[in-house]
Amino acid sequence: MSRQRSRDYQVRIDAALNATRQQDALHRFGDAYLEARQQALADLDFEALREAIAQLKDEVGRHRQQYLDQFIELAEKAGAQVYRAADASAANDYIVELARRRGAKLAVKSKSMASEEIGLNQALRTAGVEALETDLGEWIVQLAGQRPSHMVMPAIHMFRDEVAALFGQVTGQAEPADIEHLVAVARRQLRDKFLQADMGISGANLAVAETGALALVTNEGNARLVATLPPVHVVLVGIDKLVPTLEDAARVLQLLPRSATAQALTSYVSWIRGPVPHSDGAKELHIVLLDNGRSALAEAPDCKDALRCLKCGACANVCPVYQTIGGHVFGHTYVGAIGVVLTAFFNSLEAAAELVKACIGCRACVAVCPAKIDLEEIILQLRRRIGDQEGLGLGKSLVFRRVLRNRRLFHALLRSAAHLQKPVTGGRGSIRHLPLHFSSLTEWRTLPAIADKPLRDLMPSVEGQLSAPRLRVALFAGCATDFVHPRIGLSLVAVLNRCNIAVTLPQGQSCCGIPALYSGDRQTAVELARQNVRELLADDPAAVITACPTCSMALRQHFVELLQDDADYAEPARRLAAITYDAAVFIAEQLPELPAAASRGTVTYHDSCHLKRGCGVWRQPRQLLTGAGWRLQEMERADRCCGFGGSYSFASHPEISREITKDKVNAILRSGADVVAVDCPGCLIMLRGALEKRGLPQRVAHTMELLGEALDAAGEGG
Amino acid sequence: MELLERFIVAAGRAGARVVRCLDRTALVDYIARHAGGTVLLPDFAAGRRLQLAEALRQCGCEVVTEHFRAGAAQASAGVTGANFALADTGTVVLDSTDEALRLASTLPQRHFVVLDPRKILADGLAAVGPLRALHRRQSPDFIAFITGPSRTADIERVLTIGVHGPGELHILLLEGISDDPLES
Repeated sequence: MSRQRSRDYQVRIDAALNATRQQDALHRFGDAYLEARQQALADLDFEALREAIAQLKDEVGRHRQQYLDQFIELAEKAGAQVYRAADASAANDYIVELARRRGAKLAVKSKSMASEEIGLNQALRTAGVEALETDLGEWIVQLAGQRPSHMVMPAIHMFRDEVAALFGQVTGQAEPADIEHLVAVARRQLRDKFLQADMGISGANLAVAETGALALVTNEGNARLVATLPPVHVVLVGIDKLVPTLEDAARVLQLLPRSATAQALTSYVSWIRGPVPHSDGAKELHIVLLDNGRSALAEAPDCKDALRCLKCGACANVCPVYQTIGGHVFGHTYVGAIGVVLTAFFNSLEAAAELVKACIGCRACVAVCPAKIDLEEIILQLRRRIGDQEGLGLGKSLVFRRVLRNRRLFHALLRSAAHLQKPVTGGRGSIRHLPLHFSSLTEWRTLPAIADKPLRDLMPSVEGQLSAPRLRVALFAGCATDFVHPRIGLSLVAVLNRCNIAVTLPQGQSCCGIPALYSGDRQTAVELARQNVRELLADDPAAVITACPTCSMALRQHFVELLQDDADYAEPARRLAAITYDAAVFIAEQLPELPAAASRGTVTYHDSCHLKRGCGVWRQPRQLLTGAGWRLQEMERADRCCGFGGSYSFASHPEISREITKDKVNAILRSGADVVAVDCPGCLIMLRGALEKRGLPQRVAHTMELLGEALDAAGEGG
Repeated sequence: MELLERFIVAAGRAGARVVRCLDRTALVDYIARHAGGTVLLPDFAAGRRLQLAEALRQCGCEVVTEHFRAGAAQASAGVTGANFALADTGTVVLDSTDEALRLASTLPQRHFVVLDPRKILADGLAAVGPLRALHRRQSPDFIAFITGPSRTADIERVLTIGVHGPGELHILLLEGISDDPLES
């Protein structure tokens, strides 16, 4: 079943990759969004505000029952009829029964993702009630017989000519593909429907426990008509929308519109409490409080932060995967990173099983989330659950459990690979073509060859480095530096030696375990964490330095978390985390004054995802490069993912990687720089491979290599 | 910057037209010139105080003051007051519990809001106190934050004004009406 599921998913990805007009639109949107969002947040302390929102949402999560009871009591006191729906069918049944009782034929709807989640329109249609979407985007999607591809902009995947054709079918005449005209058509066509409707159905963005009021945050004005004109108003709202007080609501309102559409505030925020007066007789307000997996999510310790979500859609807006394949493929009802998580809880883990693999792990979403949800981390937890449930697949399981956990075997295999690859490398440092079904991996990039000798065999002895070092540090090389690009490690050693610091490479160190962890094999990651903690601390170094930000995240964060319940290793793991540094940060501290160097040329800097958003480092490498004589020419969106993502670009989604890499290469070319500096061996593999394959002359180098060269040149010059 | 200036800048940025009226005559004259047809005039404190119905009729406006549901779809403009306003977002806040106020501010193409500048507060957090007071005063209730005209960007992200709500929002500033956030 899961193989068929994977095949179906691949077919949908392939189709999305061919939808180039959608890709262009989503890219333009992503770029414009980032700029507008930055302006909208200019006067606010984003970090402080999102921390406050995370806290107030967590407070509701902890005392769910208390706030629900308070909200229900006050809403009922104001005259609302409140129904608690445990799941989708209970919610649908209640609303359908209400429609029947009222003899309703037409219901006008304002945008509600919760109603998409439960399939309300279908349930009403089956009962003979027409549910008409009135939000412009929702109406377009409804006319097209599709589902929204974005939570805030449902029809972002469609274009004016398609909308004109759909509207033409409604009006019975040809409609020009002019946006202003099309909006006017929608106003005219839907106005009478509002006045005729027997029921209004909306969602809500906030349910305020303190007052029993709901708040609807909208722009078009249709929600106000849905709430006002029909005699019955049904509000379908997830219990995750609860906030304790009006102050909390005000905080959410500061970030929600700014994050969703980069507006300071939407055109309308309507606070509705109880059935308000209606001139054609008594009004009814029904509030359907939807659980449908939300309580289960609140009870899942490693995923519960996802319940903080404000449904702003920012995580999709900035996601390179979303921009490449769109929300119909990278999502279910809810799209983007949060969509992956909510699908697992609101639908099923099975429904999210392919989606969890589609995340490339760049953490762009984590940086912009107004509720401070570590979406990448939660997606990793879901991968683990699926790995536990379905197994990793024979190949991966063999590699991780048999090979990766056994350092000697792993390293012996890498060494023999260096010899076995000779026929495909032809003695060069890279693989340009691969035979048979592997060929797709080298169609758009070259692959690096395994080095003839790994760094561990090339390391100069401590005595050979310096006569009287002031410090002795250990190098954590990581597989890519050790076995593919040992030059990076040698450069780092040379630079550290310049600071009069001696470097050791503890031989027992192995893979940091991230490939296993990200694939859902936690046990292998735990084994590797233990091995590395033991080996790196054995010699009691003053610091542990790494030139790979993914390894750095492993040493500083994941080992601590993986070993926190291990009586023997919890404390050493914390100690290791405390003395681990990214190479650029450590050197910027140790070598504040670089020897003046002659001009080295123009460099552009690519921020690796794990260094910038994982470790919070982006200033120091730039500072070192400019200090060493490079002229820095920034590329557009320097911190957008390069498309590497470890096994993402080799095994699970090379075709999505290819598109993301293409964007990065174009940004590099537009910068006009001769050299691209990176601080991640993975980014280096990806970008060098892509530039080489296209025959482009730009050089890609690790910051440590460039720094080493500059110091050498300055030394010779002096 | 003063609250008033911040409000004017922010409301303008949101697409509202803010007009500082020297006196009642200027305010009435502005509405009469821009209404473009039948005016829905619900009952509200500032409207009563300024005797807007008479004044607008004297200027030649067709003014409707009741049975809005029947006539609202054809009306060209609606006039309301505001309980208070928010400087940082250029928002006017209107207790719209009375259905006539809701119809006048949602259905017509133009919405005119009469606002005493003394009612301008700093931001959403400063609004919590008056909002709470409005909630305490009556139940059920419907309180509207209105920021600029109705808008959409649902087709190709192109900002388009006036979908289902008013396509024009005119905020008429006139001093000396009221500084009480509990009345509009």
